[in-house]
Amino acid sequence: MITTIKSELRKTIRRPALQVGSGLVGAVVVLVYGVLWYQATHPASAERPVALASLYPENFVSNVLGAGYPLGAALMIVLGALIAGSEYSWGTMKTLFTQGPGRLTVWAGRVVVFMTWTVFMTIVLFAVGAACSVAVAYFEGHAISWPAIVDIAKGMGAIWLIFAANGAVGLALGVLFRQSAAALGVGIVYLLGVEIIVVRFVDALNNGAYKWIGDLFVGQNASALLQSFIPHSTGPISAEQAVIVLGSYLAGMLIIAGALQRQRDVA
Amino acid sequence: MENTTIVETHGLTKRYGSGVLAVDSVDMSVRRGEVYGFLGPNGAGKTTTLRMLVGLIRPTSGTASVAGHAPGAPTGLAHIGSLIESPGFYPYLSGRENLKVVAELAGVPLRRAEEVLDIVELASRAGRKFGTYSTGMKQRLGVAAALLKDPDLLILDEPTNGLDPQGMAEMRKLIRDIGQGERTVLISSHLLGEVEQICDRVGVISNGRLVRQSTVQELVGEEGVLVRAQPVAQAEEVLVRAYGRESVSRQDGAIVLKAKPETSVEVNRALMAVGVGVSELRPFERSLEEVFFQLTGEKQGA
Repeated sequence: MITTIKSELRKTIRRPALQVGSGLVGAVVVLVYGVLWYQATHPASAERPVALASLYPENFVSNVLGAGYPLGAALMIVLGALIAGSEYSWGTMKTLFTQGPGRLTVWAGRVVVFMTWTVFMTIVLFAVGAACSVAVAYFEGHAISWPAIVDIAKGMGAIWLIFAANGAVGLALGVLFRQSAAALGVGIVYLLGVEIIVVRFVDALNNGAYKWIGDLFVGQNASALLQSFIPHSTGPISAEQAVIVLGSYLAGMLIIAGALQRQRDVA
Repeated sequence: MENTTIVETHGLTKRYGSGVLAVDSVDMSVRRGEVYGFLGPNGAGKTTTLRMLVGLIRPTSGTASVAGHAPGAPTGLAHIGSLIESPGFYPYLSGRENLKVVAELAGVPLRRAEEVLDIVELASRAGRKFGTYSTGMKQRLGVAAALLKDPDLLILDEPTNGLDPQGMAEMRKLIRDIGQGERTVLISSHLLGEVEQICDRVGVISNGRLVRQSTVQELVGEEGVLVRAQPVAQAEEVLVRAYGRESVSRQDGAIVLKAKPETSVEVNRALMAVGVGVSELRPFERSLEEVFFQLTGEKQGA
């Protein structure tokens, strides 16, 4: 298993898509902070007023969460689909499966490395967000004070779970379609369109009698989890339920993809 | 040890969901230490059979033993190196890095990557990205990856595919070198000349069925002498009297005599003695190509 992880790490770490993805996540945070800062200091430019205080380090967690979803989740689906799907497109699946380690071992190695990378992305997101908030405080002459460690940890845990669940969806789609292009397309269309339409439709059925089905979708639970960080906000889905549903997506998608990879012929 | 089999299949069959019978009850046997040619036209079932041997696809029925294990078993794969169809590597990594990825997965020391790069003569270009490689370089890297484990059995599926004549010659030489000594090489090809030049034994597959398995020599038949003479009937009569009916046959207006090529002198003398004019007298050997087309039912030059 260790050799499988090392092998997976060697190729993943050099993969341009992941390097670009990491840079993109950081750039998005910088962009979000830049726009909010501009709006806070130029009130006429914003539709809704942005309080400068919301950009200071003590509030950086909620800003980072806003930057991480849905764009970060979409990025995770894309990268998951690329990681799993391109192994088929490049014909590397047969190379991997004929070296010795079993198919599930190869899959487990991939999952471990990909999930480690989602942790890294989470750290990048928070580190850049914290740096941006310090920059705002510095230029505005505001004293630097941080949120409680437990709040930062909760925020990081939440965004990691969202990244991991969406990444798992991307991985599963890559395995299912045995190529990256279709997996990537389906994943993005689902996240940005299909889920919203389906949830609205289900919610409207029979005066909301089937709303509970809509509450099981990955995007709904990701939104609910992030909403729980806003003080005094209440929604139809509790943070606890969101964690359970997202965790189930993460585990379920990885198990289904692993089973497909184990069972199917490699043509 | 020499004659023990390293690959053995019994009734190996692959039928796809669409009903296509890709491989039909193949009973195949490859002996340790030999270079075995798996010969057949495109679409005959060669690649499907090889994929089953390395565990990439599961047979519908039948059994196979490869290096003493079930196909795809990790313990068996540890002794097998393979290049199935086209080489599959990461285009953004260099040739060397690709080999290290494979070496790590196979549990082989990373220094082995340098050794196999030397064997396939790719060391000087190993720093270039795989995506920029020519077809010949890709094939060489594929062979290098197959050699990483220093395998007892090397399975190469159409390794000269897409190569120019010089590349093909170099690959044939490489395979011959690799096949020296104890290692077994199972090579599939639709190129008859290639198999004839490299292989000790041959299995011919057609429409999913293994139609013949033997040495190249057995396959092309016994030695003989081809005689063109006039009058041909009289010549045949003389030869039948001298060598027996079973040794003489007609082919395209000529007479084929089953005999050693050195017999030519005697044959010439016997025919001249009775006044038969001899216009052609030469050693006769059926080419593998003729046998192949006969076995597979394909039309020559079609």
